[in-house]
This record gives sequence, structure tokens and C-alpha cells, in this order.
Amino acid sequence: MIPAQLFCWHFMAYPHLPADFDERYESGWVTVPNALWDAEKSRGLYQEYIDQMALADRLGFDGLVLNEHHQNIYGLAPSPNLIAAALTQVTSHGKIVVLGNLLPLHMNPMRVAEEYAMLDMMSDGRIIAGFAPGGGPETFNYDVPSASSRELFWESLDLIVRAWTEDGPFTHEGKHFPLRYVNPWPKPLQKPHPPVWVPGSRSPGTLIECAKRGYCYFLSSRSHGSATGRAKDQFTQVLEDHGRKYHPFRMGILLSCYVGEDDRSAREECEEGVWYFLKNCLKGHLRTEGRQLTFGPGVPYIPTKAWRQYLETSKPGRKLLGDAENWEELEQSNSIIVGGPDTVFERLKTLIDNSEVGNLLIQFHLGNMSDDITCKSMERFATQVAPRLREYSTKIFAERFPEMEDELAAAGAAQ
Amino acid sequence: MTAEVIEAAGRKVGIVEAGDGDPLIYLHGFADLHGVKAEPFPFHEALAENRRLIAPAHPGCGETEEYEDLATVEDAVFHTLEVLDALAIDRFDLVGHCVGGWIAAELAVRHPRRVASLTLIGATGLFVAGAPIGDVFMMAQPARGTEYADLRQMLFEAADSELAQELFPDGRGEVDDEVRRYQMLRFSSFIGFKPPYFYNRSLINRLHRVSCPALVIWGEHDRMVPIDHGHAYAEGLEGCEGLKIVTGAGHAAHLEKPEQVAGIVGDFLTD
Repeated sequence: MIPAQLFCWHFMAYPHLPADFDERYESGWVTVPNALWDAEKSRGLYQEYIDQMALADRLGFDGLVLNEHHQNIYGLAPSPNLIAAALTQVTSHGKIVVLGNLLPLHMNPMRVAEEYAMLDMMSDGRIIAGFAPGGGPETFNYDVPSASSRELFWESLDLIVRAWTEDGPFTHEGKHFPLRYVNPWPKPLQKPHPPVWVPGSRSPGTLIECAKRGYCYFLSSRSHGSATGRAKDQFTQVLEDHGRKYHPFRMGILLSCYVGEDDRSAREECEEGVWYFLKNCLKGHLRTEGRQLTFGPGVPYIPTKAWRQYLETSKPGRKLLGDAENWEELEQSNSIIVGGPDTVFERLKTLIDNSEVGNLLIQFHLGNMSDDITCKSMERFATQVAPRLREYSTKIFAERFPEMEDELAAAGAAQ
Repeated sequence: MTAEVIEAAGRKVGIVEAGDGDPLIYLHGFADLHGVKAEPFPFHEALAENRRLIAPAHPGCGETEEYEDLATVEDAVFHTLEVLDALAIDRFDLVGHCVGGWIAAELAVRHPRRVASLTLIGATGLFVAGAPIGDVFMMAQPARGTEYADLRQMLFEAADSELAQELFPDGRGEVDDEVRRYQMLRFSSFIGFKPPYFYNRSLINRLHRVSCPALVIWGEHDRMVPIDHGHAYAEGLEGCEGLKIVTGAGHAAHLEKPEQVAGIVGDFLTD
């Protein structure tokens, strides 16, 4: 039987912002002045972050996760494939998940097909290929017209998977990316192709397209209230409509953890990094203060009908994760889970129990958190939380999804 | 005034009509009929006093269907041509504001003989070095979750004017209005979000093809389309006698000073 898969996600935040950043700047995204970038202070920063991920691999995490963002202080990996390439050389067993390459930002999707194929060969078949259309900030950074971003995205992704699975050269008669000669060298190691993950925030379009193709749906929400379980129910239904069955490894979720020796010391140790992350990194993204660019009328990527529905079912100015004003509010969002090993285990156990999601993508490094405490938190998680979570999840997944084993075996045989 | 949905090239198109006389085609912008409200503003009513005003909604706006292949301003021009054919209108006065002004200019350089006169109010469409067209999309993201002052400041003389607050209120306005604003942003995202940003670098060198009388009107404090664009249009259009500047008005000069702007247009049309 298969336990929940525990991944370590590194966002690679910029940790050297001035203490009064929040008072002085409107956003940590797109327009955040890059005069604040301190190259001298940042010497060795990428190495520190790569070392933390290499540690996660040695600690037995099932995989390492990277993502792509541009012109922001939240994540310093505009090219996650570069970091993934470095990881192929310093890790040996965990999956390397790039979640994902932002397809509408590429002039030619084949560049992504080629780089993932290289990474799959370099990692001996450990790549999980994530693809995303890019959020609101990327719209502004890279001039992706929101209204056509989904169409660009799915054409690119279908072309990439076809290029991996069908012998070339062939001609792609696409609307946005017509190509005479599709013929990538190399092709990936994994057959028929590396697993494909696609993030979404419960919009029906993405759920349907993932279900049609059998891709893993990664719920990009950072908070985990009842909506997480609802997303799973929604996906279960959509999968059924497309002749597939839900099981926990068809979905992933994102959360953050800090594990201390006990609850009190955990909070004391991580609080600075947590608030730095909430107030600075999320400003412009998941915080109403300033100007958030992630969702709204200025990034009109959802169809008009869906926008009307959103207006009819929501209130203006609802609080976002980064609006938490105190620790209690933060705890309620069930996004950043802080405590001693027992507390963290109990809360994740409940989350798995309620959501029935099998891929847990966990951020350990938050904001300006020091290397020392980040590594200690990861070590405590790996030794004192992960074994219990694996045992518990194996049991409940086996009880609730008795046919999953056969399905996964069948999928494996097909490969 | 009548609002109806007609069919043009197999697609539904929402049209507002008012008045009698020679046809006048009105192409809308953001702070405008179809852009935020379903009904004509006093400015449009004034135009309809001596003309048959016909104001179609752009693709995806108001009652007009969005369609899949919409990608460039060229598509919006052809949409308008299809509407004109469906209504069997051959020759017409053409008035456009903002993005609608851009579409009007692009149409006029292609079909100069069909256009009896061309009026542009705060029109996008030109590239003017050093005077970029404002980023209406970023301003449409509210500050602090609910505040649209920056968007109002871009579209009007003053963010706190009564009209600006009525049309683009903080928090949430009527759902139908909110949807119309969204539709206009979505339409504009297709044709004007990625470079070129609401402009066509070739347009300036084509303006001389417009042979009809032309009128160019600009709000003194247009913060979406800098007034340099007005001067460039006025210079490029051979039938234009010079830029008319509306003092104390912003980008939506026709809504902010309806009598004055309608007066200028009315005088121009009767000349």
C-alpha cells in the first residue's frame, strides 16, 4: 500500500528586505523596486537553498518542489529548471517536481518539452512535469493577455505531451504555436512520459481538462478549510464524468509547516519568518493591503459567466491569508502549521482525513527564516512526523480506496 | 432609445439606437455606454438629437457574444463592418471614444469613402514615444481589496468626482454594471494587453488616407491616453482643424462635460 507522498517545497524567498518594507512599498510583486536587491548580501543564497533541498532528499522526502515566478520577492526562481538541473546533481532518490513551467510565457512550448526531457534524463527519470498558465502577476510581468492565457496554456501542454509520446518529426497545426518540425532530442526517460501536474484553484475548466487527460490536479490554495475537501469532491465528480475514479494521488495540496521541539518553542522560533512571509512575500499576491494582482477584474482570465457567478456568491474585500492580523487568525486559515511533532502530526492527520489528498507539498522555509532553524524543522518533520503520517495515511487510503492499488498498478503496467 | 440584439455574421450583437436622421456609429470605451452602463449617457442622447445614433457593443461586451478568434484590433474592425452590413448602412458619421476611437480610426483608414466624418475622443491606437497609454488593467485591480480610486483617477478628471464614484464605486456596484466593466476589460485584454499596448505603430502613417472631415477631442487631464496622442491624431488626420481640448475634464471628457463635448461634436457635424 502507498502512504501519503511528502514533498519539500522551496519558494526561495528574498530574505534581505528592509525592516520597514511593508510600510514603504505597495507590493512584493511586479513593481517591487529591484534597487532593493542586494547582491553582496545574497552571495551564497541559492547555494543555501539548494543545500536545504539536498538535505530534504537525504532525509527521505519523496520529492522536492520548485516553481516559477518573475519580478518578485516571494520566489527567486524565474527559471526553476536551472535549480532542478542543479538538484539532479546533488540528490539521488526523490522526485524533482517543477510546478510548474509557465507555458504562456514561452514563445515556443518546445523549449519546455526539451528542458524537461533533459531534466528527466539527467535525473534518471525523477522529473514530475508541472505546467501552469501563470497567475496575475505574470500577466503583468510577461504581457500574457489574461483572456487568452488558458487557451495558450492547453495548446502548449498538449503539444508538449504529444512531442514526448509521438515520434517526430511531425507538424503541429496549432492556432498559437504552429510548428513545421516537432522533433525533440532528447525525449524523456519515463514512459509514456513524466507525470504531469497542473495547478488550479477550483475553476471548473481546469478540473475538467485535467480529468479528461488523467493529469494530477494540484490545488494551489494555501488555506485549508472546508474548501479543500470540496475541491476533492468536485474533482471526484468531474473524474467520474470522464470515466475515471478519484484516488488520493490524483491530487496535491500546498501547505507550510514548522516543527519545533514543542509548541511554544516552535512558535517562538518561526514567528519572524512567518510574518516576513505573510506581510512581505504575500503582499501583491494573497494580501488585500497594497494591490493584489492575483485575481480580479484587471486579470480577466475566467469567462464572463464565471465572473458573474463569483460576484453573486462572494463579498468584496474578503480577507486573504496575508491579512491575518494575529497568530489565532493565522491558525484558523490552516495554512501554516506550527508546533511540536505531536501537534503537527495531529493537524496533518486531520487534513489528510478530511481532504483525502495523497500528495502533500510542504513549504518549510518561510520568508527570511535562517538556514539553521529551517534545517532543524525539516529534520524533526522527517524523523518525528513523517513516519506516523505514512503509517496513518497508508491505513486510511487502503480502507477508503481499496481499488486504488489496482488502478495504480494498471497505470504502471500501461507505462 | 431602443436596445436590441441583432445577428451579424452569425453572432449576436447588442445595439443601442436612438434618434432619427443620417446614421452615426458610436464605438464605446471603458467609461461609456456598454463599457459600464446599458443605457446612453446625456452625451449620447445629445448626439441622437440630429442623427440616428447606432452604438454596437464590442465582441464580448454588453449583449454581444464573445467569439473565439478575437485577437487583434483588426478583428474588432471586422466585427464592426459585419454589424454595418447587417444593418445595411453604407455611409455614416463615425464617433469613437478610447478603444472605440482606435477601432474607428482603423476602420476609417481602410474604408475612407464610407466614413462621412470621424470624431475621436481620448482615442487609443497611436504609439507616441515617451507618452505611454496607461495600464488600465493594473488600475482595475482594487487597492486594499476594494478601492478603485486609481482606476477613477485614470478615467476621470478626479477620482472623487460624483460621476466617477457612481460609475466605478469602491467595494461592489450593481452586479450587471460590474459584469459590463469586466467584459470591457476582457475584450480589451484580447486586443490591447500584450504589446503593442492599445496601439498599432503603423496607424500614424495611414491616417492621411482618411479623407473626410475629422474632429479630435481630448480631456485636458486624460491620464489614460496622454494628450500628446490627441495632438498626433489631429496632425495626422488631414481633415482635422486642430485638437479641441476640454478643460477640467479627464479621459471620459464626453461624460464629464456632456453639453460642451456634444456641442463641439454637434457644431462639427452640422458644418
